[in-house]
Amino acid sequence: MNIKIVDSWLREFLDTKTSVKDIATELSLTSVSVEKIEKVENDDIYDIEVTTNRPDLMSVIGIAREASAVLKNSRFNDLKIKSFPKSFNKFPIEIVNDPKLVNRICAVILEIEIGDSPKEISQRLEKSGIRSLNNLIDVTNYVMREVGHPTHVFDFDRLNTKKIIIRQAKKGEVISTLDGKTHVLLGGDIVADDGTGKIIDLLGVMGTANSVVTQNTKKIMFFIDNNNPVNIRNTSMSLGIRSEAAILNEKGVDPELSLKALLRGIELYEKIAKGKVISEILDIYPNKPKEKKIKVDHEKIKKVIGVELETKTSVEILNKLGFNAKASGSILEITVPPIRADVSIDEDIIEEVARIYGYHNLPSVVPTFLSNKVVGFADNFYFEKKAKNAFKYFGFTEVYTYSLISEELFDGPIDDAIKLKNPLSEDMAYLRNSLIPSLLNVVRDNKGLDELRVFELSNIYLKKQNDLPNEVQMLSGIYKKPHASFYEVKGFIEQVLLDLGIKNVDFKKSQKGGLGASIFIEKDYLGEIEVLDTNLVDFELNFETILKHASNKKTFKPFAKFPPIVEDISVISDSSTQDLINTIKNQDALITEVTLKDTYKDTRTFHIVYLDFEKNLTNQEVSKIREKVISVLKEKFKATIKE
Amino acid sequence: MEEELIGIKNAALSFVLEAEDLKSLEETKLQFLGKSGKLTLALKEVTKLPAEKRPAFGVLANEVKQTIEEAIEDKIKSLSAVKKTTLLEKIDVTNPGVKPPLGHLHLVTQAIEEIQSIFEKIGFVRVRYPEVEWDWYAFEALNFPPNHPARDDWETFFVDEKPHPKYGPVLLTPQTSSGQIREMTTNKPPIKMLNIAKCYRRQSDISHVPMFHQFEGLAVNTDLSISNLKGVLDYFVKAYFGKERQSRIRPYHFEFTEPSFEVDVSCGACNGKGCKLCKEGWLEMGGAGMVHPNVLKNCEIDPSVYNGFAFGWGVERVLMMKDGIKLDDIRTIYSDRMEFLEQF
Repeated sequence: MNIKIVDSWLREFLDTKTSVKDIATELSLTSVSVEKIEKVENDDIYDIEVTTNRPDLMSVIGIAREASAVLKNSRFNDLKIKSFPKSFNKFPIEIVNDPKLVNRICAVILEIEIGDSPKEISQRLEKSGIRSLNNLIDVTNYVMREVGHPTHVFDFDRLNTKKIIIRQAKKGEVISTLDGKTHVLLGGDIVADDGTGKIIDLLGVMGTANSVVTQNTKKIMFFIDNNNPVNIRNTSMSLGIRSEAAILNEKGVDPELSLKALLRGIELYEKIAKGKVISEILDIYPNKPKEKKIKVDHEKIKKVIGVELETKTSVEILNKLGFNAKASGSILEITVPPIRADVSIDEDIIEEVARIYGYHNLPSVVPTFLSNKVVGFADNFYFEKKAKNAFKYFGFTEVYTYSLISEELFDGPIDDAIKLKNPLSEDMAYLRNSLIPSLLNVVRDNKGLDELRVFELSNIYLKKQNDLPNEVQMLSGIYKKPHASFYEVKGFIEQVLLDLGIKNVDFKKSQKGGLGASIFIEKDYLGEIEVLDTNLVDFELNFETILKHASNKKTFKPFAKFPPIVEDISVISDSSTQDLINTIKNQDALITEVTLKDTYKDTRTFHIVYLDFEKNLTNQEVSKIREKVISVLKEKFKATIKE
Repeated sequence: MEEELIGIKNAALSFVLEAEDLKSLEETKLQFLGKSGKLTLALKEVTKLPAEKRPAFGVLANEVKQTIEEAIEDKIKSLSAVKKTTLLEKIDVTNPGVKPPLGHLHLVTQAIEEIQSIFEKIGFVRVRYPEVEWDWYAFEALNFPPNHPARDDWETFFVDEKPHPKYGPVLLTPQTSSGQIREMTTNKPPIKMLNIAKCYRRQSDISHVPMFHQFEGLAVNTDLSISNLKGVLDYFVKAYFGKERQSRIRPYHFEFTEPSFEVDVSCGACNGKGCKLCKEGWLEMGGAGMVHPNVLKNCEIDPSVYNGFAFGWGVERVLMMKDGIKLDDIRTIYSDRMEFLEQF
């Protein structure tokens, strides 16, 4: 969350001669990041990013306190309330609180005169990024920015019932906020009910139109509510009202600030709106934070920071930050101020000391210890890289498509899909179970190109009962080209598998029907090649099956001492090439290699290599084997052999 | 007779010497060594010699024949060499080559390879853990309070599925930090882990995509310090961005680390002087911190014995911060147009 802090305002609470630029640098390095310094007229404005754990820094006073701890020769001047107004009039409105919703309520009734704010106030607000409206509203914003607690003002005379019940909204209740918008509540919002069921405020988020001040307002109820952050966050996010009050309140504001904010507001109403207190001060405070004490061994602080540090230095740093720290021996005893709700354990204290000491003052030492895991060279990442590179050098371009898909892109019945509860859009509502539909999208997005080779290696997600989904890495691709051939795609896959050290790959007629192949490594199903069109062939391979069989094991086969005899044999048959090759090969151990050499019309020519590692083969031996091969082909496959 | 042979030899050699092409060389060969060539005819005269002179004549005749043949062979070689040069002159070396196919690896893959390689050199071991995860791993064990904004429907994607009785709702990991829990619940210190994975968040704008990648480092051992974390990130910044780039850590806030840091790298465009691309000379790289003791406890690692540090940065983020890449909208990285993909 970002906040704009005006330099002149800051210096009301911070005594320092440090320049604006140096304040910004020091704050960035040790506390909160000053993202920008803007010069407006003769003032400077710090644009500061405050982390969500430090709502105490969302104010001029908060930043001033922090800066005083960081800057040398500086002093923090806390807000001094000059008077605590006394009135004996009983508070005229009955307020019924719900301590589960609101930690503290401080309120007072004032007579006022509505008008414009003096320049000093309105300009400071405008420079802080807050619109100046009129003196009544401006005070609420001025107090919020200065003290860090959101505040609200009601038109007292519009609170007809003189009763306020704090309750949770019911689902479907309708309100109009002061910006004129109508909202239907989802339930659970903190609202003020006037006793008749009518909602007269949406606490901590935004006032409602029916109770806010108008040009005719004569009396006001100045109202400080310290709310349960969870309810505020739900209301603010579900209604889309990101007011500064809501952003502060959802982080949790220190209830100790409520009264301070009220008193500061009274002071300002008296000063700029002719304000006159006409009621006692109401303070309903059911949830007072408990005081926290922490004991830390200074040895631990030094060890984690990584430098030798004197105990005295740590104590000084902590006290400047508003802690109450004392050292006895090496043990630090620390009392945490309520405003620092974020500090509760040793490590929080270590952080406070380390950051103010300065992270930039710490040395930089790469730890030399080794992990207890021993990982070999050829791990899964090695084979991934190898497979990706193979496709790269086959001319394929890698894509990363979204894992989240629309219903249309899901492959199969949508009931099998893993569905998101809160998708960002209908296009990204399901987790995919195949990469192919996404890759076809890529083809569509590049429809001007006649030739395209793309691939992706990513997870798919398969539903499992009562368990996390099965995440399976798939290697998929698309080959687009006029007259794209099944055999080209098969060739890519054969070569990749060969490069990954995988043998025993079988291509069978597709199990899924359609034109294409189902691929197996030994008994394991690897995936599919699908011919989608005359110009489009895709493939999808289970990469985990690949990893199971991939290997970079090497084995040397001795060179042949005797020359092989080679010959070709032409066959006409209805059987598959693989069956024919296997059959020929199985006829004799001396047949070491059989490949399809050529196909012409219905004739296939096979190239056969005969080799004996022990001795020179004779023509006689070979012709005996050949006769056996021919007779088996004729008998088993009804093949015609062309001599 | 000997004089005649010497004369034939000299004549033949001078013809060979003068020959300018293979054709005239062929003619010379015929003229001297052919069936009715001069040398062939001269050799037939041997019968006219007395018997005792014939052997010496034979030796000389063979020498002459060999000399002429060798001269012709040499000349053929040198003429062919000349011919090759003539051929070379016909090549236009500026014509395009016949190229083998060359595709492209995605920018994210290239960045991940580089990141992995850098961290491996200082002993981090890459791992991979689920992208779809239970709340316990992604939030609860990482010390997120029950009502933390990251746990609500606005920031994190939830799967429409019954919550696990022990581990809670199923969600898409919004950061790689769930890998810390996976690592520490299955492995014991000393740990030096690098987890690179896809992450998902409900955001889409110039600096956010609903799906992106993070790399997460985790070191757990006895006696680790903030200085050790600084050492690792300085090493990464110099190795990945270049020696001239600086890094710094600033206070920040995360639930699962304490202290927590934001890591900045000096702007490469202005060299840290400050420009419109950076914040006062610095670019935010991502978060880091010392592992929160509750996180160690949740993984049954004793925080009084061990401590650790962790960091998690966006792959796309560091990629976009690299000098000269000139990508200013993160969504471009996920463009599937070839016009984009083929640039890298």
